[in-house]
Amino acid sequence: MLVLVLGDLHIPYRVSGLPHEFRKLLTPGRIQHILCTGNLCTKETVDYLKTLTADVHIVRGDFDDNPNFVDQKVVTVGQFRIGLCHGHQIVPWGDIESLSMLQRQMDVDILITGHTHKFEAFERDNKFFINPGSATGAFNSLNSSTTPSFVLMDIQQASLTLYVYQLINEKFTVERLEYRKA
Amino acid sequence: MSMQKAVDNNRSSNAGLSMDNQEKLLADALQNVRQHAFAMKRVLDQQSVMEGLKHAANMLGELRTSLLSPKNYYELHVVVVEELHHLELYLTDEFEHGRGSHDLYEVVQYAGNIVPRLYLLITIGHVYIRANELPRREVLRDLVEMCRGVQHPLRGLFLRNYLLQCVKSLLPDTEEENQEASKTGTILDSLDFILLNFSEMNKLWVRMQYQGHTRDLQRREQERRELRILVGTNLVRLSELECVNVERYKTIVLPKIMEQVVSCRDSIAQEYLMECIIQVFPDEYHLNTLNEFLKACRELSASVNIRNILISLIDRLTAYSTRDGSQQNIPENIQLFDIFSEQIAEVVKSRINMPPEDIVALQSALLNLSLKCYRDQFEYGNKVLENTRKIFDNIALDTQVQTGTPAAKELVKMLKIPIDCYDILDVLKLNHYKLVLQLLSYRERHTVCMYIINSILDKETIIPTAEQVTQLFELLLTLIIDQTDSALETSRQTITNEDFVEEQNLVARLYNNFQAPNDPDQQYHIIKICQDTFKNGGLERMRFTYPPIIMQAYALTFRYKNIREQDEKWEKKCQKLFQLCNQLINTLTKLETNDLPLRLYLQGALAASEIGSENAETIAYEFFSQAYTLYEEQAGDTRAQSASLTLLIGTLEKVTCFAEENHSTLRQSLTQAATRLVKRPDQVRTLLLCTHLFWSAQRLNESTQKSEQVHDNEKVLACLKKATKLTTQIMDQSVQVQLYNELLNTYIYFFNQNLPDIDITLLNSLIEKLQNEMSKISSNENDEFIRNQIQKTFDYLRQQSQLEKFQGLQINN
Repeated sequence: MLVLVLGDLHIPYRVSGLPHEFRKLLTPGRIQHILCTGNLCTKETVDYLKTLTADVHIVRGDFDDNPNFVDQKVVTVGQFRIGLCHGHQIVPWGDIESLSMLQRQMDVDILITGHTHKFEAFERDNKFFINPGSATGAFNSLNSSTTPSFVLMDIQQASLTLYVYQLINEKFTVERLEYRKA
Repeated sequence: MSMQKAVDNNRSSNAGLSMDNQEKLLADALQNVRQHAFAMKRVLDQQSVMEGLKHAANMLGELRTSLLSPKNYYELHVVVVEELHHLELYLTDEFEHGRGSHDLYEVVQYAGNIVPRLYLLITIGHVYIRANELPRREVLRDLVEMCRGVQHPLRGLFLRNYLLQCVKSLLPDTEEENQEASKTGTILDSLDFILLNFSEMNKLWVRMQYQGHTRDLQRREQERRELRILVGTNLVRLSELECVNVERYKTIVLPKIMEQVVSCRDSIAQEYLMECIIQVFPDEYHLNTLNEFLKACRELSASVNIRNILISLIDRLTAYSTRDGSQQNIPENIQLFDIFSEQIAEVVKSRINMPPEDIVALQSALLNLSLKCYRDQFEYGNKVLENTRKIFDNIALDTQVQTGTPAAKELVKMLKIPIDCYDILDVLKLNHYKLVLQLLSYRERHTVCMYIINSILDKETIIPTAEQVTQLFELLLTLIIDQTDSALETSRQTITNEDFVEEQNLVARLYNNFQAPNDPDQQYHIIKICQDTFKNGGLERMRFTYPPIIMQAYALTFRYKNIREQDEKWEKKCQKLFQLCNQLINTLTKLETNDLPLRLYLQGALAASEIGSENAETIAYEFFSQAYTLYEEQAGDTRAQSASLTLLIGTLEKVTCFAEENHSTLRQSLTQAATRLVKRPDQVRTLLLCTHLFWSAQRLNESTQKSEQVHDNEKVLACLKKATKLTTQIMDQSVQVQLYNELLNTYIYFFNQNLPDIDITLLNSLIEKLQNEMSKISSNENDEFIRNQIQKTFDYLRQQSQLEKFQGLQINN
């Protein structure tokens, strides 16, 4: 099961579009689910994601123009309960303890949040925390050098392989991380 | 055939043209053919050549019919030729075994009817030449002349086609005679042969136009078109001859073909044959005969569609010149642009009824040539654009081309050519481009503008200077400001109109491509230009176009900060940028929704704080209080208010430039605002967020000029107590219990932060309370979820209870 995790695109408020290196990779029919942390910001981008696959989950970012996106979502893939939330609602932003609280409240194995435009992936108390960063490398006041990034999760039953795609200094890199649910 | 018979035949051919009748006629004819063929084969098996020829002649008699339509005649012809092939094979075989009869060629000339006679002559002639029985040159000449005997167009065409196919491999393709065999002929003889065959075929083909009644003209023309390949095959055969070189083509082949094409004065023939010449002969030949070809074009009949011929030629040569990516295939002395430019002018002048769309199509082909063959010389492309504009000015000055007309469509196609060939920065060098764009009506201008933007975005072209941005805006004006000729009423240009939204979002995306990467001052210049331009678009457009300007302005302040060593004015410049943003956001507040302006103000406060320039605190405070004001105006929309307040709190927690006085004011305001939210659960949750404002939030210590965390434990506790009190006032027990859980978690958070006054005893009492409350709620699905959440908290506590810090924690299993 391939799950695309991305967010904070900020099209068109901060950037004109996804980097073409990413667009080339993201072709229809290869991904089963999309989990989007929000801040797309317009319907155009939503429609684009829907061309990649039918099962698209989006949560509300602070700049999304659709007021009807929910604040939090839980999706089950394989044996994982996955929680999705943009993260601007969690104060302090990006604080690990607060994120852990959210993870407990949502009762999820994996918590995916965004907002910081910084890729992160770590394990804590056998729970996994992922931030796919900004897929377009959009400007962020608190993060002066944003790198375009997104994440592809390959979930097989209880094992999770994470592929992190980044454009560092215009060079395209892929990193691989593995987790197992206890 | 006598006149009467001819008329009778025509009449009966009309009668015979009904579908069923045709089918039957064909079926009958085919049956006869097969019968004769069978008989022929049988006697040939018995070595009776003469008998075989008789049966063949009978079979060929079926081809004398006038009753079949060209399609059906063709079908009959195919079968007959197939059967005739047997005869050919038989005779060839005889000769190979030395048994050939030497007088058949003579004998067959006594066959009764001319059609069978000629088919047999051709077949036998073919065999004899291959067997060296007769001199090739003589026989070929003989045959091509004798075919004149059949003047009926349909029969004649197929006969000569058979001739051409038969002698295909026999045509001499050498410079000199073959010394061994005599009189084999040379390339010149082949040329004579084919050119004569071609001329005669064309004459027959043209004659079809006049056969029969005027009311059947359309059908006849259609039938003629079906047969065109028969005539064209001659040209193909010519192109296959190896000894035909540029010289021969120029001096012998082309003149002869042209002579026939021009003199026949038939537009169907002319159109087809000119096109055929272009496609069949190599581009190199065309390059060397341009003048001759174009001269002939001018002499074509008035109803010929010369546009397609010229465009075909221009496109072919354009492709040839840029093949393999090089532009060197055209020799220096051939100035394609000048030649075609003149030619087109001549044609347009001589054909006064040429519709404007045809003229535009010709100009398009010329533009394509200019842009591809003279890539870096913009004056050629410019000239074409200028001329195009002049043409329309001459028709009607300052008048737009009507929307939806063919001329408008051709103009749109034309304007897309430079966009496809170049990137936009080069297109901007074609300063006459906008002259042609202005000719179009609103709808077509809109189409072109959208096309331009999409092309820039797809190619990811960056526009790096204010000047280029200005030039680009000149082209895109149709999308940026209201147009006087727009069919849309102003009321349709709102967010409710999907097309309008799509279009404006595209403009917004484009804005992000205006980047001067190494020149912040240039970037500032760009921002000013865009603001000046976009402000004329009306509030509905500014909704889309202002936000990217504002965000880019914030990003620019960071760039200025990065070069502060080199630019001493950097702080003033940042100030100007923030002032500009203030102005722009303020304009946006006139829109009915406050969401976006509020968020933009908060982003500004963050940016100012991070920049830390001399007026950072003032700017940040101004922006923050503006955001707060907008928040207050959202009263009435509880959901929006709650979301906005959360954002205000989250932002304040990260803004570090406020001194205690300002920070204190803001902390208090937000905390009070939390308690004034309408719904209790919102109050509680938001208060829990406010605790962080008194703890990890940072304010500026004015004496040290460094930011420090607030760490006001009293206030944190006060918030927590207040939150607890509010929770007790909630009537819905499930919600209440859920909130107790969240309260507990927040206490645990601050316990981990070592907040004084939060100790194990306090935690234990909270745990006990929660356990009690938990028993009060039901066991439906929703409550199960809440129970589960509480369990998760308890699981976490159990885990933590292993740590020294949590010694004494009472958490039973």
